[in-house]
Amino acid sequence: MADNIWNQRQKDIWLRLLRSGDHRAFAEFIDKYKETVFLCCRKLGLRDDEVEDVASETFLAAYKGLSRYSGRAELSTWLWSIAYRQAVTYLRKNRRQWQLDAEPDQQIAGSRQQEPAAALQGKETEKIVWAAVERLPRLWAMAVILYYREEKSIADIAKIMRAKENTVKTYLFRARERLKETLAAVFGEDRDAS
Amino acid sequence: MPANRLSEDNFDRMLGRALRSSSEPVPADFTERMLERLRESEQRRILARIVLQERLALAGCIVLVAAAVTAVLVFPDTAAELLQRAVGGFKAQGGAFVDRIPQTIEAFCGQWQFYSILAIVFGFAVYSLVGLFVGDRLRVA
Repeated sequence: MADNIWNQRQKDIWLRLLRSGDHRAFAEFIDKYKETVFLCCRKLGLRDDEVEDVASETFLAAYKGLSRYSGRAELSTWLWSIAYRQAVTYLRKNRRQWQLDAEPDQQIAGSRQQEPAAALQGKETEKIVWAAVERLPRLWAMAVILYYREEKSIADIAKIMRAKENTVKTYLFRARERLKETLAAVFGEDRDAS
Repeated sequence: MPANRLSEDNFDRMLGRALRSSSEPVPADFTERMLERLRESEQRRILARIVLQERLALAGCIVLVAAAVTAVLVFPDTAAELLQRAVGGFKAQGGAFVDRIPQTIEAFCGQWQFYSILAIVFGFAVYSLVGLFVGDRLRVA
């Protein structure tokens, strides 16, 4: 993770600059975490035209809240929780029918059709895994992304998603089972085809 | 790996690798646009604070004048007495300053409401005048 590159001293100086409202330090902060924030917004079901607005609101909220950031949680965890809250609030306000635990309509087969049915390696595997994750209920998908991609602990995920640790474990367990099933089916099909 | 993680097998490792190896598309000029938005929002905030301070200063001046006029109209005797005392005080120049302390306390106890209003108005007036004349220097600092 990029966090490990920063040594503690540099990190402290950078944090001090961030808290003081230094724009250059904040530009670095945006560059470092913009992908994370966009990922959070997209995976929670925001449309492309909404993602940028919510991402901007997230960074504005982070800028205002940085002076209160205690440093107890990792900076990325703190930002994830803001992004998550902003996205969920936006969705609740703007889409009455929207439900966090709803399953998206996308079908893994649909995304597979765009790709040649070649050997499942490298980028191909990556796409299939992402397609399978996107088919999960949104809360499960979010827990999977935070756990496997961002390497967050269960406690951190619980804080970000404002859920109990046992609930997060349940999401992860169910998501893992579903992914195993889905991916086994897809990989199995492909092996049969080749 | 952070603590508080579940035990992992090959499937988990494959999942982690696949999810980590992708990048999320972000508009190229997002950072610049974000900074621009930030600058605009800061300018708006500063402007709003200045406008509020100016309004308070103006309101302070109006209230001060109104309070002085009201005080003279409602408590003409007290106002006259106060003015006489002030003039007398200047004349005596500290001669009998200590002797007048009990008298002042007695007068205050008798009309504490009046003096409280006067103190509030005076405080507000000082705040407004400071805001009006040296506010800019304080804001820059």
